[in-house]
Amino acid sequence: MKRTAAILLVVLGAVLGTTGPAAADGAHVGGDLHVAQSLGDRDLTVIIRRVAQVPGPVHVDVVTHAGSPAGEVTLTARAAGAPTSSAKVVLGATPGFYAGVVHVDRAGPWELSVDEASIPFVIPARVSSPWENATYGGFIAAGVLLFLALLAAVLGRPGLALVPTTGVVVAMAVAATAALLSPVIPPVAPPGAHLDPTFDNVMNPYERTPVMDFSRPPVNLVPRVDGHDLVLDLTDGSSGRPVDDLLLHDNAFVHLVVVSPTGGLRHLHPVRTAPGEYRVRLKDPERGTHAVAAEIARRGGGVQLLRSSVDVTGNAAVGAHDDVAELVTEVREAGRPTTITAKFGERDLQPWLGMLGHMIVVGPVTDGPVSAPIWAHVHSMIPPRPGVPDQPDESVAAYGPDVPFTYSFPLPGRYLVWIQVERDYQVRTVPAVVDVPAPAGGETK
Amino acid sequence: MRRTALGALTGVIALVAVLLVLWPRGVEAQPQTAESTRYRFVLTPSSTKSGSTTLDLMITDLAGNAARGDVTVEPAMPRMGHALAPITAAPVEPGHYRVGDVGLFMAGQWEITVSLSAERVVIPLLLT
Repeated sequence: MKRTAAILLVVLGAVLGTTGPAAADGAHVGGDLHVAQSLGDRDLTVIIRRVAQVPGPVHVDVVTHAGSPAGEVTLTARAAGAPTSSAKVVLGATPGFYAGVVHVDRAGPWELSVDEASIPFVIPARVSSPWENATYGGFIAAGVLLFLALLAAVLGRPGLALVPTTGVVVAMAVAATAALLSPVIPPVAPPGAHLDPTFDNVMNPYERTPVMDFSRPPVNLVPRVDGHDLVLDLTDGSSGRPVDDLLLHDNAFVHLVVVSPTGGLRHLHPVRTAPGEYRVRLKDPERGTHAVAAEIARRGGGVQLLRSSVDVTGNAAVGAHDDVAELVTEVREAGRPTTITAKFGERDLQPWLGMLGHMIVVGPVTDGPVSAPIWAHVHSMIPPRPGVPDQPDESVAAYGPDVPFTYSFPLPGRYLVWIQVERDYQVRTVPAVVDVPAPAGGETK
Repeated sequence: MRRTALGALTGVIALVAVLLVLWPRGVEAQPQTAESTRYRFVLTPSSTKSGSTTLDLMITDLAGNAARGDVTVEPAMPRMGHALAPITAAPVEPGHYRVGDVGLFMAGQWEITVSLSAERVVIPLLLT
């Protein structure tokens, strides 16, 4: 009897000992993060590649664009404010990819500093879901119980064998039910999308919370000029506290569009320098009141557009670095979809901010962009590739040459329009003016 | 003998149950109806999968007579903030229009705006 018990214990130990790796075989989570950063005089895209394992390396690509000065940036990985690893990346004069590697020791919320800019990001943990555990656990338990039933039968106790046999049936039923239901159970939101990421909730994303509505209050934007920089202070519209929960959307935390008094456009991506503070360099600004619009997404959902204006005391002449492209427009009356196609000739456009092209619409302009009632950001999308979760990065110069946009101008009048694409690591901006007629016969949209 | 028959019966029942649960079910594209003040629009997509789709449109007035005129289809994906260029639907027979090869390239919620003269309806379409 003692011997039988010992054998049983050994077998049980062997079986349970092998469950670890099987249960940890979770789905692939996370992907590459592309973050556009207007850092000082440089326009960078920081690509944080998917972290394969923790502890382990994080591969970071710093993509420079035309006009970025050569030099060196320091990458530092921080967890809970404490730096763990840093690396220097030497940026050459030619635009392109420059790689660096930092090391992380655990899954959870992290921050990657690129000089004075800090990029919060989450390294997801590979956690198997409860239904995976039920499936694997059920099959393993069935195996163990089957062995027990056989043992009882061999020892000449068929009556006793009935107990583990019943257990086999129950365990198989549990495993089969969990396996059959698993495809229809909705996945949990990626950590950090709804709730502030913590080491605890990244390690246990399946923990239930009583919260169903994750949305947060709107944001106040106060722009100010500090030396050569434009500083944006973001505060919560209900509590007045700094807003430090911006999510990456369309490859940036803040999409800042600044339109000068003469109609020059800048599409910038301010860097986070402190909680609720974003900073961007305004190179060679004009004098006068600039229209400012920031697109942000707070944790909990929803993109919001924050409009404001700022007085700049520059002395530069009107910026004349605009590009040209052949525009084919089919303008319909207000409220109906107008199509604008920019033809760039060669099929060598690169994705910028994950899109083939961007069109900024400001209007109808009567006395300047600051008071224009409509402000829009239209995308021309890159055709999705089924089965490929990661978006192509800027090294793929194989898109275009035609960049189509569809936008229903809500009001009749004269609109300022800028179309932006990337070619040769340089953002090309094509300005245009669109006159939108009023609907015939007083029709409404 | 009786025991064997019982066993076989149990096996058959179990097999049928498993087949019932696991049998792949295609999602049949259902016609979607919307009415404006003058017309009734019935839209039937060729599939509810994302990708290139053919949209079939039956347009009648509220009395059931076939409608005439130019029909425009404007697909848009609200979550992506993305609109496709409007497409003119080709008439197949009076009141029956068809738009082929519409690139509904992404799974998710789409909104198909259909307009005939001044009448416009928005028909939601969920693609998987």
